[in-house]
Amino acid sequence: MSLSDDELFVLSYYRSSEINGSLFFGRLARALRPGPVQHDLTRHFADEAQHAWYWTRCIDALGARPLKLAQAYQDRYLEAAGLPLNLMEVLAITLVFERRVINQYAKHLALPGLHPEIATTIDRIMEDERWHVQWVRDALAGLEGRFGKDHVDATLRRYREADREVYADTLAEYEQRLGFLVGPGPDTEATPETP
Amino acid sequence: MTPPTIDDVRRRIAAILDIPEQRAGPEADLGDLVADSFRLVEMAIQLQDDYEVLFGQQDVARLRTVGDLATLVHSRLDPPPP
Repeated sequence: MSLSDDELFVLSYYRSSEINGSLFFGRLARALRPGPVQHDLTRHFADEAQHAWYWTRCIDALGARPLKLAQAYQDRYLEAAGLPLNLMEVLAITLVFERRVINQYAKHLALPGLHPEIATTIDRIMEDERWHVQWVRDALAGLEGRFGKDHVDATLRRYREADREVYADTLAEYEQRLGFLVGPGPDTEATPETP
Repeated sequence: MTPPTIDDVRRRIAAILDIPEQRAGPEADLGDLVADSFRLVEMAIQLQDDYEVLFGQQDVARLRTVGDLATLVHSRLDPPPP
């Protein structure tokens, strides 16, 4: 079974987003002083780089080459929500984004007749993504004393609104290509989270 | 230890951006010095980590120059003990 053009686009989109995530967190890990957040951020960016490799290998195994895409999902986030400019804002946008990633991958995994190579890749990535949500949620809770719980909650609300907007815009823009992913399945919104 | 001056912060900004101090003068436009938005995030986080200060989106919305940013960071420093 070979990839359709639409499937190749979506898998390449995942790959680009994982690369962007890795580069972003890698740069942050370099900027932060040693400590628990820097420690977990380093594992996080290593995971994202590994995920990009998984997608590259998956696409290759299915007889195709990844598409070079100009924009990744994160670029749209930054446009919609503004740049996160402190650690709390970075973690808040990351938590909302990681929830979206998990939901998106779960939705893809639920597709009937999914190629085993793709299913295996998503399964492997999902294991890491669950840890990503957990460590970011814990780190964010640890910052409540410094930033105030109300401020953290308000920041999460702001990013969730941006997330819904970006997801809807992305689906609308790529309706033709993403159409096979739309429909019944796991929820289509990033799950509200309580840090 | 002597608290950092606005010029110290400005020099730190130059170091983070890896540019000569002369290019990071008070009137230098941040948009000209920061090549991409990720770099700006990285610099903001590093400055807050270095000086143990906090600022967010609202604070930087009106910043235009290196001097503006150095003044913001400096204004957030704890006052020296009397």
